[in-house]
Amino acid sequence: MGGYGDVQMIDENGIRMDGRTAGDIRPVLINAGIIPVADGSAEVIWGNNHVVAAVYGPMEAHPRKIQKQDRAVLDVRYNMAPFSTTDRIRPGFNRRSREISKVTAEALESVVLTELYPRSKIRVEIEVLTAEAGTRCAGITAASVALADAGIPMTDMVISVASGKINGVVVCDLNKEEDNYGEADLPMGVCANSGELVFLQMDGDLSPEEFQVAWDYNMGAIAPVHEIMIEALKRSNGGDE
Amino acid sequence: MPTPPVPELLRAHLNKLAEKDERLDGRGRFEGREVILETGVLSNAEGSARVQMGNTIVLAGVKFQIMTPYPDRPTSGGFMTSAEVRPVSGLHWEAGPPSPEAIELGRVVDRGIRESGCIDMEDLCILPGEKAWQVILDVFALSDDGNLFDAFATAAMAALRTATIPGEKFDVGEDRPLPVSKTPMMCSYHRVGGRYVYDTIRREEIGGAERIHITLGDDNHVHSLQKGLKGAFTAAEFDEIMEHARSRCAELRDLVNN
Amino acid sequence: MSNQNARGGRDGRGTRLVTPGASLGASEGRRIGHGIVENAGQLIAVKLGALIENDDEISVMPSHTKYTPRPGDLVIGVVEAVQSNLWFLDINAPFNALLPMSLGPGKSEFGGARNVLNVGFSVLCRIQEVDETHSSVVTMKGLGLRRLDSGIVEEIPPHLMESLFSNSDVLKKLKSSTDCRIILADNGRMWIDGNTDSISDIISRIDKVRNLSRDFSSIDSMVEALQMEVY
Repeated sequence: MGGYGDVQMIDENGIRMDGRTAGDIRPVLINAGIIPVADGSAEVIWGNNHVVAAVYGPMEAHPRKIQKQDRAVLDVRYNMAPFSTTDRIRPGFNRRSREISKVTAEALESVVLTELYPRSKIRVEIEVLTAEAGTRCAGITAASVALADAGIPMTDMVISVASGKINGVVVCDLNKEEDNYGEADLPMGVCANSGELVFLQMDGDLSPEEFQVAWDYNMGAIAPVHEIMIEALKRSNGGDE
Repeated sequence: MPTPPVPELLRAHLNKLAEKDERLDGRGRFEGREVILETGVLSNAEGSARVQMGNTIVLAGVKFQIMTPYPDRPTSGGFMTSAEVRPVSGLHWEAGPPSPEAIELGRVVDRGIRESGCIDMEDLCILPGEKAWQVILDVFALSDDGNLFDAFATAAMAALRTATIPGEKFDVGEDRPLPVSKTPMMCSYHRVGGRYVYDTIRREEIGGAERIHITLGDDNHVHSLQKGLKGAFTAAEFDEIMEHARSRCAELRDLVNN
Repeated sequence: MSNQNARGGRDGRGTRLVTPGASLGASEGRRIGHGIVENAGQLIAVKLGALIENDDEISVMPSHTKYTPRPGDLVIGVVEAVQSNLWFLDINAPFNALLPMSLGPGKSEFGGARNVLNVGFSVLCRIQEVDETHSSVVTMKGLGLRRLDSGIVEEIPPHLMESLFSNSDVLKKLKSSTDCRIILADNGRMWIDGNTDSISDIISRIDKVRNLSRDFSSIDSMVEALQMEVY
């Protein structure tokens, strides 16, 4: 990757290569109920990301040793399909996917009323079909819609978005080209109604001021995505528009 | 997780329906579900397709890699199929390494395409003995309501026929369409209630016995056969489904080619 | 909750779809029904569905839900596993139910459970008790409770059972127009027995209901589908 520093990711008017301003997110489209055999499902098309999520359960947890006596187990799997990236991904064990699965499960456990289903299991399957930076955020968002679609009781829905820094400028929701030159990444998972955070990661280098801008960009993106989620659930569940 | 039991009432009902030559969802014995095919659905794949048959939905994606030709065939490229049936696609599919069922799915789809010779391996050569294209076909199940085999095979051919060799990305010449000279198609039959039916839904599969998969090429040449699951069949039964496969494969081929 | 009120909230006019986390205002002493929790005096929806507000109760009619066993419920179970003195039944709930041999059908010897009820058999039984971890014990001691040896079991989303069949004429008509025996169980399963044509007829009607089941505003269309002659 030569040419770093020469690449102008943001013009003098603060417009990014894809026409967005620093605080804009990419276009987001959500559909619920797209996997007919699942108890609940959703797809999130976020920029060029295409992520699907399916929920099965709550159901009897096997094997018995994974059962929790006081609540349901959220069995979350995040996976990237082999054709989801420019270079094919070999199927199989992957540390990155395992980590994302773990933190996603923990984020969702913070809102799902797992105590209503002791000793059972709720399966959440997140599959990335097309990846273009920000798949873990799209995955958490898709899983929230799929859980709601499955009728799983939750105190809130989680929306996840990331901000980062390119060429020293903090921007919201980096696309793939920007991500290639990214200097920092701050993904957050926020409860739509309470505003509480249930997911937080960060890597890179941000000054205190930059960090605050990135944080505020993420917080500002929650409400519009929440609206899109609600519309998606209404479309697939017969609500009034 | 233990395999869920086959409900005895379902099995008995399927038998009763078979006596009257009827099916659970009202279809005729050899009547397939409508096949809805869409191509170009995966923007990071060099060729892709989505197939929906009732509540069964699958994807196929084609990717390319540069390989070193095998020493005994220095001017040949490669072709590989991998089937992933992730637990997203149904309660009955488990996480973990590919199950024997998923591996069988991938290999049966692979054989039909490979043996038909529809992909000219010599054409995939870039530099004899040093560089050649490897075509990698990934089939992926989103929703399994029966007959993943045919859904995979149809999506696979549609993805291959619309694939582009990404010469520019790998700095080995221009982008060009992957030449696919034939369209082998698969038809699958499952013994339900004592007789073979075409394009089973999941509840029929649960209460069914053995299955047979037939892949036929453009000229009705047979390219791959597979008998799966416990059960035995007669030559007369095979003749009957083969005759149906000839006409149905032609219909599916028209769908994929147009 | 009277049927009148229940249907009034579900006819698609003026219904409000709520999503998990939606804030529903102060509780103001209202009774809290299904799908709603109270947090510091404020009501929050925890399920996706139609908001139903009656005189003094507020609840969510879910658009999809799992069956939750309650003592006294009539359920149809499928034997998933057999041990020497008990059976494990799938009752369409988040957890399997236990059927102890003492509550099973007729007399059976210790170790002879499999001869009475084998894996894959369907039974009509009643929830005897549900413990604090939601696992349930079912019984087959009671009038009409038995092994189901003919017919077929179909599934309908359990939360729809009540509204679909709240008018007893619906089931009556369904039975008389198809000449089938039908038993509705509380766990979203129905047993149908008759000649195969009639069973196929009912399955095709149920398929229509299943296709509409996500749309709470179409209860009337679902009832219509159940009563429609298919010919």
